[in-house]
Amino acid sequence: MKSSPNKGVLLQYWLSGALGGWGGTSDGKHKASTNAGGSVHGNSRPGAAGGGGGKVGLSGGLTQPAGWQSLLSFSILFLACLAGFSSRLFAVIRFESIIHEFDPWFNYRSTHHLTTNGFYEFLNWFDERAWYPLGRIVGGTVYPGLMVTAGLIHYVLNLLHITVHIRDVCVFLAPVFSGLTAISTFLLTRELWNQGAGLLAACFIAIVPGYISRSVAGSFDNEGIAIFALQFTYYLWVKSVKTGSVFWTIGCCLSYFYMVSAWGGYVFIINLIPLHVFVLLLMQRYSRRVYIAYSTFYIVGLVLSMQIPFVGFQPIRTSEHMAAAGVFALLQAYAFLQYLKDRLTRQEFQTLFFLGVSLAAGMVFLTVIYLTYTGLYVRLLTCYAKIHIPIIASVSEHQPTTWVSFFFDLHILVCTFPAGLWFCIKNINDERVFVALYAISAVYFAGVMVRLMLTLTPVVCMLSAVAFSSVFEHYMGDDTKREKPPEKAEEGLGPNIKSIVTMLMLMLLMMFAVHCTWVTSNAYSSPSVVLASYNHDGTRNILDDFREAYYWLRQNTDEHARVMSWWDYGYQIAGMANRTTLVDNNTWNNSHIALVGKAMSSNESAAYQIMRSLDVDYVLIIFGGVIGYSGDDINKFLWMVRIAEGEHPKDIRESDYFTPQGEFRVDKAGSPTLLNCLMYKMSYYRFGEMQVRRGALTPPGFDRTRNAEIGNKDIKFKHLEEAFTSEHWLVRIYKVKKLDNREPLDHKLRSVVPKQKYTSKKVPLMLGGEFALQVWRDSFRFS
Amino acid sequence: MFLIECKCPNGMYCPLFKVDQMMEWSSRRSVVRMNGDKFRRFVKAPPRNYSVIVMFTALQPQRQCSVCRQANEEYQVLANSWRYSSAFSNKLFFTVVDYDEGADVFQQLNMNSAPTFMHFPAKGKPKRADTFDLQRIGFASEQLAKWIADRTDVQIRVFRPPNYSGTIALALLVSLVGGLLYLRRNNLEFIYNKTGWAMAALCVVFAMTSGQMWNHIRGPPYAHKNPQNGQVSYIHGSSQAQFVAESHIILLLNAAITMGMVLLNEAATSKGDVGKRRIICLVGLGLVVFFFSFLLSIFRSKYHGYPYR
Repeated sequence: MKSSPNKGVLLQYWLSGALGGWGGTSDGKHKASTNAGGSVHGNSRPGAAGGGGGKVGLSGGLTQPAGWQSLLSFSILFLACLAGFSSRLFAVIRFESIIHEFDPWFNYRSTHHLTTNGFYEFLNWFDERAWYPLGRIVGGTVYPGLMVTAGLIHYVLNLLHITVHIRDVCVFLAPVFSGLTAISTFLLTRELWNQGAGLLAACFIAIVPGYISRSVAGSFDNEGIAIFALQFTYYLWVKSVKTGSVFWTIGCCLSYFYMVSAWGGYVFIINLIPLHVFVLLLMQRYSRRVYIAYSTFYIVGLVLSMQIPFVGFQPIRTSEHMAAAGVFALLQAYAFLQYLKDRLTRQEFQTLFFLGVSLAAGMVFLTVIYLTYTGLYVRLLTCYAKIHIPIIASVSEHQPTTWVSFFFDLHILVCTFPAGLWFCIKNINDERVFVALYAISAVYFAGVMVRLMLTLTPVVCMLSAVAFSSVFEHYMGDDTKREKPPEKAEEGLGPNIKSIVTMLMLMLLMMFAVHCTWVTSNAYSSPSVVLASYNHDGTRNILDDFREAYYWLRQNTDEHARVMSWWDYGYQIAGMANRTTLVDNNTWNNSHIALVGKAMSSNESAAYQIMRSLDVDYVLIIFGGVIGYSGDDINKFLWMVRIAEGEHPKDIRESDYFTPQGEFRVDKAGSPTLLNCLMYKMSYYRFGEMQVRRGALTPPGFDRTRNAEIGNKDIKFKHLEEAFTSEHWLVRIYKVKKLDNREPLDHKLRSVVPKQKYTSKKVPLMLGGEFALQVWRDSFRFS
Repeated sequence: MFLIECKCPNGMYCPLFKVDQMMEWSSRRSVVRMNGDKFRRFVKAPPRNYSVIVMFTALQPQRQCSVCRQANEEYQVLANSWRYSSAFSNKLFFTVVDYDEGADVFQQLNMNSAPTFMHFPAKGKPKRADTFDLQRIGFASEQLAKWIADRTDVQIRVFRPPNYSGTIALALLVSLVGGLLYLRRNNLEFIYNKTGWAMAALCVVFAMTSGQMWNHIRGPPYAHKNPQNGQVSYIHGSSQAQFVAESHIILLLNAAITMGMVLLNEAATSKGDVGKRRIICLVGLGLVVFFFSFLLSIFRSKYHGYPYR
């Protein structure tokens, strides 16, 4: 407690160091942050004020330090929010206020639909521009929390006559919510350990790359707001287990409802909370508080979660939710037995009965949990990690996690959070059971799938904060105060060691802050819609080919034109070009995607058949050979082939696209099937005439991405024509020609040469004629 | 046996008798072992009305071909599925040629790697696609079945004999734990031992954060030995992959840093001799700082372009 103010000052200093790491370009950043910073400020006040109030009560007579303490903790929390907000603005400052990547474009498009047409129109929205000719029922197949949140903020701001565009609301939503996440993490950690650890945890979560990766400005995705909902639900759950009041539990249910509406990861909550209750029962830590909290949470949470159209009746049908139901039944049985125990007198019979029933219930529950978790485990392993379904294996997020990604995303925290876990288990109580279970389950899921690193990050921050805070608590105490009670004098480790430890720990934290800033700036802040390349002198070139091409589509094609592209670009085409797409990033229909993959990997005439049957007007591809962009369609091409092969094994074979040595090459040695497939031809059409690197000794048609001279330079199209190629050839659009008016004959027209031969054959006939004439003459003579 | 001696009028072995012989063999064993002589008679020689799948392999222990053994298991599973399926017929046979029994066959087919799966169709010579692409698809029996269905139009539903070893191990573990609890029923204090539970939790955490799950799914080699100079590298050069040895090193480093943190805390809280506590404190600090910088340097060597030390 005593060391807390000092700690606060140092933290502040450290945070300002983190803030200073960005260099000079902070003018625009601060301008941008004032608006959203206000909302963070407004929301953070009640939480921090409540914390301060609690402190006053605890500290009793020391009113002056308590006042300082609450002011300091409030300002640290505010600075943490600010740091979290502003460290997510790299992309906005470097580029502009723009929606990133792929999925956010769909979210943005549906939010736009929501704000222009109203909520009910959004719930009933049938999007005929996606998955042509199938369409998509958007209202029933999304988690609407994100769109509704953004739409609500936009509505309120406009009500106050602060006219902002919905795009800006969407871009800045995730940073604002990261500030809220810092506050809820502070609250949760304060419940688990103490206020100092809470402040440290808030600072950690504000800048940790594992969370920034999903919440930079512009990445308008479910995870950005879901982590806030997750942490806040957990805080309210811990609070309700601690107090046993229905008020906190109802708050927890409402927060859970928000989480269900925001992200499919709510399954994590609905399994973790029952697990917590179950373990508490096993540890004989059952109490009325747990009973009230869980019974209320289960019933109200269940009913609320079923209100989301996309979730529907899943909570009472699917296996993921069965553990919660099992624990609910078990808890009721246990409580009933407790009740009986008070009433009945025969103690012996009582205990036997209790043992038998609890064993039976435990067995039932264990089988349920076993089935659930094996189901989950099998699904996690087979669906995502193993390479059974190519469309899932092709997504890089669904891979298992190496230690490098753990270290990259969490840095020092990954090494220190086991220490926090150790302290929590050594000093166990009800809520620390919860955080231990949270840590173990989250670390398991993060190991299985890179994407779930996101759920691990908050608990790592909390536990690392516990570890660091307990070290600082012992080593950062000011010695002047410690000398006052003389009986403690013998236990001092000496100021030298203390200051060395403190300095080194602060150095570690400084390294962490620097690492976070570097990772955020270099790895997680590129919009991927706009690319940037740097010259040797540090000047920057912006490659805006994507938007150029999408805008061309928007302006120059028919409003109902159908654009075929690989599924990665479906949302962007729909969002930016506003044209109908065949497949998009919501990969629910494998056969449709396989059909597009088949068209891309067949030869032109076979592809034309498919494209005719799908009413394709334009084909859009991404080609990076000119600028050396490695994420282009030729590099993704093998996945197209694999997915197509999965559905059409008779027509497409992956081995045809390799050389006999098993290599995938685009140069002359490449397989002829590859050199004549539609994707190859569209990518390299007229590329053979192009000298890419001027002055260098590269031949024309040299692909910079694959470092090879292309093998087929003489590409001619029969059914397609080039419609548009962007400035750096990054996006190429082809128009699919309509059928000709008359079917062209597939054989050659008969030439006129045989007629001449016929006339030349007449010469003997002429002779015959003469002969006939003579005969006639003879006959005449006879007559 | 005398059937083999019976000759057709044209001097060749009669396809009828050959298929009978093959049926007899494969009814005895689902995979027919072949030597060079048999191979030429029953697989290579033209008048045939059945397809043959041949696995060329080297199963002798002195060949040290572990892949061959795994492939052989999968192949046996597939052959048994075919042998005991209702669709079993004399259209398709599974055979194996071991290098040590038919080295001449390997020479004849110009083959220098094992295992190799080949399909010899009933009519005509084997084409390029009749050699199973082991490198790319792997040798799971499902993949083999798919390939066979593709080449011969014979659908085989792979039926794996259920693997009871996992269940037995689990039952054994449960009974062991239960027995232990029963034996020590008078003294169940150790269940409430927080240190034990904390140790178990930390083990799970260390295993996961050092990427053991990645190892389990991807199955990397333990370490890489450079064939040129025989140098063994334990750290994979790329940040996308890792070796088993590497993940063990990381596990130890993480554990050391955690232990350092715990020791730092112990030194401050425990009640004992000040000098001893000072030493504990310095050891803890040393563990944290030294091993963290070591970890950072490994990370730096893997993550190219990382600017900080």
